[in-house]
Amino acid sequence: MTDPLVTVDGLEKYYYENDTLLDRLTGAEPEAVRAVDGVSFEVREGETLGVVGESGCGKSTLAETLMRLRDPTGGSVTFDGEPVFELSGDGLNAFRRRAQVMFQDPFSSLDPRMTAGEIITEPLAIHGVGTSAERRERAETLLEEVGLSADQIDRYPHEFSGGQRQRIGFARALAIDPEFIVLDEPVSALDVSVQAQVLNLLADMQAERDLTYLFIAHDLSVVRHISDRVAVMYLGKVVEIGPTEEIFENPQHPYTKALLESVPRADTDERSRTVETIRGDVPSPRNPPSGCSFRTRCPELIQPPWLDVPQATFHEIGEFRTRIENGDIDVDLRWEQVGDPDREDRAAFVDSLREEAFDTELPADDEKTVREAIRALADGDRETAAATLRERYRSPCEAIEPALPAGEHPSACLLNEQPEDVETAREEWEADHDAPEAGASSR
Amino acid sequence: MTDLLRVRDLSTRFFTEEGQINAVENVSFTVEAGSVLGVVGESGSGKSVTGLSLIDLVESPGRITGGEIWYNNADLAARVEGDQPEAVDGDFVDLRRLSEAERRSLRGSAFSMIFQDPMSSFNPSITVGEQIAEAAEVQRRASANPRSTRSRTQGYGLGRMLLDGVLPDRSYTSEESWDRAVELLERVGIPDPAERAEEYPHQFSGGMLQRAMIAQALAGDPDLLVADEPTTALDVTIQAQILDLLADLQETLDMSVVLITHNLGVVARVADRVSVMYAGEVVERGTLRDVFDDPVHPYTKGLLGSVPDIDQPGERLEPIAGNVPDLVDANMPDRCYFADRCPKAMTDCLTRPPEYEVNDGHRARCVLAEREYSEADAVSDERLAGPTDDGAAADDGSTAADGSIASDAEVSDD
Repeated sequence: MTDPLVTVDGLEKYYYENDTLLDRLTGAEPEAVRAVDGVSFEVREGETLGVVGESGCGKSTLAETLMRLRDPTGGSVTFDGEPVFELSGDGLNAFRRRAQVMFQDPFSSLDPRMTAGEIITEPLAIHGVGTSAERRERAETLLEEVGLSADQIDRYPHEFSGGQRQRIGFARALAIDPEFIVLDEPVSALDVSVQAQVLNLLADMQAERDLTYLFIAHDLSVVRHISDRVAVMYLGKVVEIGPTEEIFENPQHPYTKALLESVPRADTDERSRTVETIRGDVPSPRNPPSGCSFRTRCPELIQPPWLDVPQATFHEIGEFRTRIENGDIDVDLRWEQVGDPDREDRAAFVDSLREEAFDTELPADDEKTVREAIRALADGDRETAAATLRERYRSPCEAIEPALPAGEHPSACLLNEQPEDVETAREEWEADHDAPEAGASSR
Repeated sequence: MTDLLRVRDLSTRFFTEEGQINAVENVSFTVEAGSVLGVVGESGSGKSVTGLSLIDLVESPGRITGGEIWYNNADLAARVEGDQPEAVDGDFVDLRRLSEAERRSLRGSAFSMIFQDPMSSFNPSITVGEQIAEAAEVQRRASANPRSTRSRTQGYGLGRMLLDGVLPDRSYTSEESWDRAVELLERVGIPDPAERAEEYPHQFSGGMLQRAMIAQALAGDPDLLVADEPTTALDVTIQAQILDLLADLQETLDMSVVLITHNLGVVARVADRVSVMYAGEVVERGTLRDVFDDPVHPYTKGLLGSVPDIDQPGERLEPIAGNVPDLVDANMPDRCYFADRCPKAMTDCLTRPPEYEVNDGHRARCVLAEREYSEADAVSDERLAGPTDDGAAADDGSTAADGSIASDAEVSDD
């Protein structure tokens, strides 16, 4: 195994809202948006580490923070033994020469008032490499290398197509011979045929120059194609990391499984493939769920030890709980829908909501608990309704936060192997929360 | 299976300062009743304009300049036959020959459209429920009084407008339409629809808003839903949900869907038939199996070869060299538009190819449908580059640079 070139340890980037002077004077609590929330991984020399995740999972913020383009709020990054966040002066300059970044949008990442040559030589000029003539010569060579022609050096960005612009952005990143390049969605703005050209170029250059890539993308097939190892992010955290083959052939985390399932294949058998879509949306990083951040959508949510209902039923109950806890159900409106604004016929209210919320048959005890919760809701007592359900249906996933253990292919899920402290916490939690006494909740 | 729509030689052009842009060029295809037609192509291939042309939503400086759109609707045919017998053929009516007002009355009730970006398709200052109810209300008023939607004002004349100015809380929609909106929201899988209907677009997530837009499009019970890149702005897990929803609606409501997308996986997931577009033309069409398993046109093959396979990653992708042409009429050569990027260009390709029939229902605009490729007839890059070239085109055969065409003229990417 080769040595890590980049080591990221517990990296955090929080953005704070309600943090203006006025808010401070009025004593409002600043609200943290946890864009990157304790991420640790290594990038080994000469490899491509792919980072995948849906929009808003923090993958771009991760890249920008580790390149020191944004100030971290916690954690550390080590580049070839040097602590990146403590560098200054010459040390920082050297880091900036050895690590480069290429951005997603070919239309906004190039200065429209600079020619291709000026864009490519700018990093050289900043670092004082060579004379102006030498730099121009270098730019011409680079243009040829990335598959453009040297006589296009004096053209402006608008004269190039999207794919060509990405090539210029890549030539700029290559200009000062870096060892490490962060590629932030380098092909997602391109058409498939052009995307393939750029992917081939990236692979060729890596082989030729021994580059190390951190490749950020949301397109899983692209990531599989180019990466040696893959990290999967969800809501600011890495939930699974491992060798590409392992991740794609033998995914461990339910989120990774769902993500892989969801990608439509360009194949005639695609129609008959059954896809277990995961329900709901990514929660807001302003107010992430307690415990495991994926639990609100997880198809494999762990049932509490005292419960044994079909997983589909457990899932439905979970969704119903979320609706009550979030206050999605407007009680006044429901009474109107039942056609009973005077709120006399509580049974009708209970029946109608019970029917609407569940497709499956509930076991007798669960039927009782659910109805009891709805009765509380009918009286306008959301707290009691939520508590009734929480009592019986709380999952260890909402109390215990899973962590990423050490190893080649770890995943942050309670279903899989977890570090010792997480296992202990889970045992303690289970011991503290005995089964609710029979009938206690269904009195 | 009966056909719902037969499109013949449809052409749409944009008359811009840079010249005439041939966005859609002699496009023909059929949409069967109760099936999904996938239209695939890269940006600038004319697929979105084709969708807009179907519903007659092309805006200035664009104009539909030719072609016929035959729509299967016996009622409409009977009604139109008296005035315009030439626009009727059996149960089919040629939409291009109908009056503007008549076409307008079909929007929403016969054809409906959903767009790529749900965030910008809703008015941020009106509740989602109200906006869907509005669509339902238009249809309700239209069926109560067919004349009203065909008139310019839709029953909302000057008097009404002035009255609304004085009494601002008068709502256009009725309670009935509001209930219909809630029902539609429920139909597209939004939990607690009555509550959600009262919310504003910014309170919805992207996936929920896309569902809401589908609900709005369903308000008039359309025969045909044109979905223009409906999942492109969404994450894969949400995309899977929306595709499931579309497939389910299509089946239960027995609608036809024209699904426009650049994503071959999305097409494979939901489409029955596929049209591949390139430079404003349909270069290949047929069933999903014809096009995906048995492609004839080198562009279709190239497109399929460019996509990395998530299940079987290969060593190297086989991209198509070059870029999509810019469609400016003056720059379009009088030969096969794909020839300069085609690995199998032959002397035959120097004339415009017609649509060849490969087998029943499978057509390709390429001479390879008729004959085998032969090295002897291969045509040199110089000859294909044409008179406007500045010499950059001939420099690479193997390195797959995308530098050859777009360097000639300004690049239009959309």
